[in-house]
Amino acid sequence: MVKANTLNRNNKTKFKRQDLVGWLVMLPSLILFAFFVWEPLLESIRLSLYSAKGIRLQEFVGLENYIRLFRHPDFLAAFRNTFLYIFYSLIIGFMVPIVMAVLISETVHLKSFFRVGVYFPNIVPGMATIMMWSFFFRPGNTGVLNILLSKVGISPQVWLNNPKWTIPLIIITMTWKSAGSTSLIYMAGISRISSELYEAATIDGAGIWQRVRHIIVPSIFSLAKTLLILQIISVFQILYEPLVMTNGGPNNASISLMMLTYNYAFRDFNYPMGAALSVVICAILIVLSGIYTKLTKDKE
Amino acid sequence: MFFKSYSAKKDGAIRSFDLHSFRVKLLIICIVVICAIIAFVCLFPTVWVFLASFKDIREFRREVTIFPSKFDFSVFVKTWNDLKFIKYYINSLIMVVGCVICSVIFNGLIAYVLGILKPKGHQIVTGLVMWSLLIPSTTSIVALFVNVNRLGLSRSFIPIWLSYGANAFIVVLYKQYFERMPADLFEAAKLDGCNVLQVFLKILVPLSTPIISVATIFTITAAWSDFLFPFLILNGTGKETVMIAIFSFRTSNATDVEVLRAILFSIIPPTILFLIFQKQITDGAAAGALKE
Repeated sequence: MVKANTLNRNNKTKFKRQDLVGWLVMLPSLILFAFFVWEPLLESIRLSLYSAKGIRLQEFVGLENYIRLFRHPDFLAAFRNTFLYIFYSLIIGFMVPIVMAVLISETVHLKSFFRVGVYFPNIVPGMATIMMWSFFFRPGNTGVLNILLSKVGISPQVWLNNPKWTIPLIIITMTWKSAGSTSLIYMAGISRISSELYEAATIDGAGIWQRVRHIIVPSIFSLAKTLLILQIISVFQILYEPLVMTNGGPNNASISLMMLTYNYAFRDFNYPMGAALSVVICAILIVLSGIYTKLTKDKE
Repeated sequence: MFFKSYSAKKDGAIRSFDLHSFRVKLLIICIVVICAIIAFVCLFPTVWVFLASFKDIREFRREVTIFPSKFDFSVFVKTWNDLKFIKYYINSLIMVVGCVICSVIFNGLIAYVLGILKPKGHQIVTGLVMWSLLIPSTTSIVALFVNVNRLGLSRSFIPIWLSYGANAFIVVLYKQYFERMPADLFEAAKLDGCNVLQVFLKILVPLSTPIISVATIFTITAAWSDFLFPFLILNGTGKETVMIAIFSFRTSNATDVEVLRAILFSIIPPTILFLIFQKQITDGAAAGALKE
């Protein structure tokens, strides 16, 4: 360390040219990041303050787009639904990968098959997953789940057309796709636990369940906290599922904030309204991450 | 015997010394059965798509069975030709190749500068990149789309290719890998008269093949599955990718079984990739998140 520091100091006078070379090497990448990631965030704010015809801005209207946005009944529906999506994804989607990881970690036979098997849905393209599950949830006799139900003598269900079921069923689809990859992360966490811990616990008289409860659960707890916030952020942006499976219906029962953005910008071509909603989504996400960081800091 | 291999078990709460108890043996069998059920649930939907796409439309509508009455592969050839799927495959291929090239070059270069060259002020860029890891890209899609249109770049692959050159996740992946390399290596190359780009091409790239292949595999699957941005840019231009195609079949006059076969066509390439590189993919998926 000391050596590296003195080296740096000696070179400090000559460094100017090298610095410039470094910046030049990453200049193309910086331009791409600026164009695709950083600038659009600022542009969203600017767009949302104007009225526009197509992509051409007309005049500065201040916060008028935001007021129209909040007054529209769709916004309230989308806002409520997005939190319902998060609520159900925490109930259904959060525990599944943990349970899967704990169980698969206990196997010896077929372990690599189980790992590959549960990861497979993650390889299936999102659009294909959604369309596949649309066939499963199809009401009537040809729906796959209805076929399976008819074998045990239960009458056909309407699945996604029942507004009470729409969001939980969409969350099941999402969980099917993503639980495997999350559980691999937990499995890696579990495999890092030293076997001495288990042995020591056994000597102290801990049974298998107690070892899971007092060794495995605490050791993946911090991992679970990180993955929880990542899950909330990703569910918050849910778009493809309602767009393809239900088109936001029945009667706005599954419309999400991102889908409303899509409708404003790419169905109605009202880009300022779409941008205004993007800004609102971004702001909520920043608040959520802020709350999360504060909560985790208070505990420590 | 079945339980013998458990003495070599490394993970999890059940240890080899638990095995003398009958209840533990029963528990182990239960766990294997539950895991088998989980794997079945994960694989069944795709298998069903495969089986159901053998049916013709009448059989699909009337017969409530899982297995088709006959396995005739010529129906796939017919649908492939009827839906002109080769065109979508070629479009997807063009898109994926361009995305991989951009992803490897641009993310690699910025990671090289941030991880190894570290010019004055690089911390600002590192901070911005880490920050963009948290800000989801979909929230800025409206502004990005408007920007692309203003530049007149819509209806072409170029913006999609280039968008893969600004991937914070891959930058972090490369940077962590580069930072673990011995610094002497680069000093030695510099003394031998290599300039900055020669060091990148002759030292860094050959030594980074493992991480480059992981990043390449992830870019391929991501680009192949990408929908929203390509859809907005390419829909209606004749450059539709496979994902855009299956999305539009949903509302076209293609029959259910044709849609199913199209879904199957869209799953096959990533599945083949996964079967070949399953170890790199499953290891990489876990490693990416653990290293923070």
